[in-house]
Amino acid sequence: MKKALLVLVVGLAAVSLFAAGGADAKAGGGKITLMQNKPEIDAMLKAYAAIWSKANGTEVVIKSIGGTAGGVGQQLKADYAAGDMPDIFSFDGIETYKEWEALISDLSAEPWVSKTAVAFKKDGKVFGFPVAVEGWGMAYNADMLAKAGIDPKSLVNLGAYKAAFEKLDTMKAELGVNSVVSMAASVEMGWVTADHNFNSLLSNGLPYGDLSATNALLAGNVDDTRLGEYADWVELLFKYADKGVLTTGNYDSQVGAFATGKAVFLHQGNWTDPNMKAANATFKMAFAPHGSMKKATDGIFVAAPSFYAINKESKNVAAAKKFLADLVATTEGNKYMVTDAGMIPAYSNVTLQPSGMLSQSVQSWAAAGKVYSWNQYNFSGDFRQKTLIPIYNQFATGQISKAQFVDLMKKAFIANKK
Amino acid sequence: MKNNSMKTNNGNKIKAGALIAEIITAIIFLAFLFPFFIVFINSAKTAFEITAYPMAMPEKWGNILANIANIWTSENIRYRSSLFSSVLITAIALFAINILSSQAAWVLVRNKSKTSNAIFFIFVAAMVIPFQIVMFPLLSWFRMITKATGIPLLRTYGGIVLAYVGFGISLSIFMFHGFIKSIPLELEEAATIDGCKKYQTFYEIIFPILKPIHATVLVLNGIWIWNDYLLPLLILGKGNVIQTIPLAVSNFAGAYVKQWDLILTAILLAMIPVIVFFLFAQKYIVKGMVAGSIK
Amino acid sequence: MNKKRENSAIFWLFLAPVLLAFLLVIIIPFFMGVFYSFTNWSSSARADNALKFIGLTNFTGSFKDPAFAYSFGVTILYTILNMIFINFVAFALALLVTSQLKLRNIYRVGFFVPNLIGGLILGYIWQFIFNNAIPSLGRIFNLLAFLNVPENLILSKNTTAILALVAVGTWQYAGYIMMIYIAAIENVPLELHEAAKIDGATPFVRLMKITIPMAAQAFTVTTFLTLVNSFKQFDVNVSLTSGGPSTIYMSKPILGTELLALNIYNTAFVSNNLAMGQARAVVFFLVLAIIALIQVYVNKKKELEL
Repeated sequence: MKKALLVLVVGLAAVSLFAAGGADAKAGGGKITLMQNKPEIDAMLKAYAAIWSKANGTEVVIKSIGGTAGGVGQQLKADYAAGDMPDIFSFDGIETYKEWEALISDLSAEPWVSKTAVAFKKDGKVFGFPVAVEGWGMAYNADMLAKAGIDPKSLVNLGAYKAAFEKLDTMKAELGVNSVVSMAASVEMGWVTADHNFNSLLSNGLPYGDLSATNALLAGNVDDTRLGEYADWVELLFKYADKGVLTTGNYDSQVGAFATGKAVFLHQGNWTDPNMKAANATFKMAFAPHGSMKKATDGIFVAAPSFYAINKESKNVAAAKKFLADLVATTEGNKYMVTDAGMIPAYSNVTLQPSGMLSQSVQSWAAAGKVYSWNQYNFSGDFRQKTLIPIYNQFATGQISKAQFVDLMKKAFIANKK
Repeated sequence: MKNNSMKTNNGNKIKAGALIAEIITAIIFLAFLFPFFIVFINSAKTAFEITAYPMAMPEKWGNILANIANIWTSENIRYRSSLFSSVLITAIALFAINILSSQAAWVLVRNKSKTSNAIFFIFVAAMVIPFQIVMFPLLSWFRMITKATGIPLLRTYGGIVLAYVGFGISLSIFMFHGFIKSIPLELEEAATIDGCKKYQTFYEIIFPILKPIHATVLVLNGIWIWNDYLLPLLILGKGNVIQTIPLAVSNFAGAYVKQWDLILTAILLAMIPVIVFFLFAQKYIVKGMVAGSIK
Repeated sequence: MNKKRENSAIFWLFLAPVLLAFLLVIIIPFFMGVFYSFTNWSSSARADNALKFIGLTNFTGSFKDPAFAYSFGVTILYTILNMIFINFVAFALALLVTSQLKLRNIYRVGFFVPNLIGGLILGYIWQFIFNNAIPSLGRIFNLLAFLNVPENLILSKNTTAILALVAVGTWQYAGYIMMIYIAAIENVPLELHEAAKIDGATPFVRLMKITIPMAAQAFTVTTFLTLVNSFKQFDVNVSLTSGGPSTIYMSKPILGTELLALNIYNTAFVSNNLAMGQARAVVFFLVLAIIALIQVYVNKKKELEL
């Protein structure tokens, strides 16, 4: 008898196990899930979502995915196989868009479309809500440049940078730095080389949105002069970078070197503002022109790096659309985007300004119209990560020469020809 | 006379040798645990302190409490609920694996036939199957089952426990099998003569004898279930209601940022339950490994 | 008759739960996985999403890929090194711990502790040690200044990075294998040792002629376990090196410490080619199964001889 009772209890418990948590998956009405790729703004987004939920009566679940073991892309695949796709999810460009094309809604009729210049478009239709505007380039320590008598505004071409680097290199002890530039080229930090730095080859010096150089490379046609100049720039960066940070440093060490005054320049973007704050870096900093070519190129790289897409098959498309629209239209939404999350708004009606120095620098470059686009996502993630990252890494660790670097890049583009 | 002095000489030699061995082992021991020491001292530092002075003693030991409090209360990490879920999932899975594997191993040992040999062989061979082959099909398949039968498997405790049972029985049956072979048949024959039904024989007589192996299997499975990352990632999904500790810890690793201060503290918090449990159970583990592995 | 029926009933009843779980969780997904490897399956929502049967394309594509071939090579190298080091260290530790040391119980626990921690976390800890802690030693002690030179960072060069993987793999697993050896060593009847001592055998001779042969059965198990676990290594690979640094193979730049499990994972997720990832996983499984079978067979034979 005792045994039979035990079996019964265990059986009931087992059945209840399957129910636990399952109810959550069944609830369709009154809930939207948003999956995004920036864990650093997770807390702020969740706080805003709670406020919005209360005002609109729809529950909002925020999932922030980061991590070296796979990001939003991997999680989406797993969730797709599990039949559990989020209602709103972030994506970074055309290649990722193509992965989920059949599921992404057309947002061309949304109210915020007219207020932004950087929405994700394909074939004339809008499919992506720009999350923020971000910019990257050569961030500099104003105090140190002043000490060295170098005017950042003069750094508009390769020659100027070369001279500046050489001068700063002789003054290392005086400035208290380990190196002139803080640059990272390890496999883990491959996004700095194969995504951002690579992009300067694609868009530097060209009108915003101009894809001529990009399309040429996609077709396997390599402009030798342009590639050669680019290689000179990469060589210059690597030469004056701290070797340890360059070859094995991670994000913390690369940004940390600049924030603690151990480097004059930092090859990164305005998303490092919170890190500067955490390190108590109070010195004046801004972005210098990205003078990586022989001719003068007075601008930095500004774009919307990620977009929110709305899942066509969501059970709550209307609520999802309203959530996004409210980010732009309401004061609470604006406050969250700019003041709390520290992002630069992509919408003309938002007048708030973020507090970080680098973000403000990006805004002034954007306001002056001196911006170059982000075109790297026109190349597949596979190409950038499996082919390009190792080439940069080899060059940074001194295993290949500049000539070999140029040769390997050229071969890579030809092999990648669509 | 001669014997005595020789004895003393040998005695001294042995004493010196033993001392040297003790010292060498102690050094190796410290070297082995040195990484944990690094985790510990760095849990009390701020992120930049860690990158700048990884080997130094922390400036403020109090930071460790601040870091722990940070993790304990963070809404992003949801440590408390993850801890609860991890404990629940691990406990239930271990319970199920031990009972089901031991009884299966017993019948396989006691019924010598081609069938039981084949079944045993398949279980052991499955240990070689890499997780990558089955991870995605498992998801699609579970989804099909849910659609067809209405039993929710994904995002539930039941589904993940079922998955752990499936993955854990190979090794467990292997270990029980080896040990059961050494239990004398007379024990069971005597029980049958006394009027025990077969299942009584197993549960009342054999099961208690298997204590050492139970402990070993519990620890071996416990370790990988507690620390497992991929299976919960797929079946429970990130950011859903039910999360486990490894999923929670991975929430720190931003795409570009590794918050070392939080990661190392979280590692510390994740390691402590396992180590404490092990310290209590280690007597049985060794006994079990003695008995089970050699057969 | 009744007894036979009762036996049969209990046989299947007791086996039913595990067989069901095994079928649902391992067997069916396994065959599904094999099926998918012959298709263009992708678990995403591309515009043209029809599932097509493409035969052996995924397999031939994989063999042509230099990264896959290299991955095979580096995994075999890693496995061999790992097996040697783990077993050597584990056996040595077992010998130490079964001797008359005063604190041997504490040592035994200490050596096992690394095994309690998940591989992902272990890799992060050691990445921190190799990249931050060890170079900082070079800043503290002048004698060790070479440690702080960026070129000498262990994870920055292929050869040393692979050795680092082996070091961490050994550290993680030696304690567990040590336990098995302890059991084998303690299983040797004391009388054998006493008899040998009386015959004047030195400890070394006793080790070679008594302990090791008697532990032969343990070797089969430990070789199998270390072989399979080294071959399948993933967690430590991801967190310690992420597959880097890069190298050139067949004149293509590729990742230099990408073990097979990581290569399969990257194929599936980074290259967005799930079906090819499945195909590679199938190849992975076949190779490992064959090697494991050979190893157990050879060991069993040796066992009988010894």
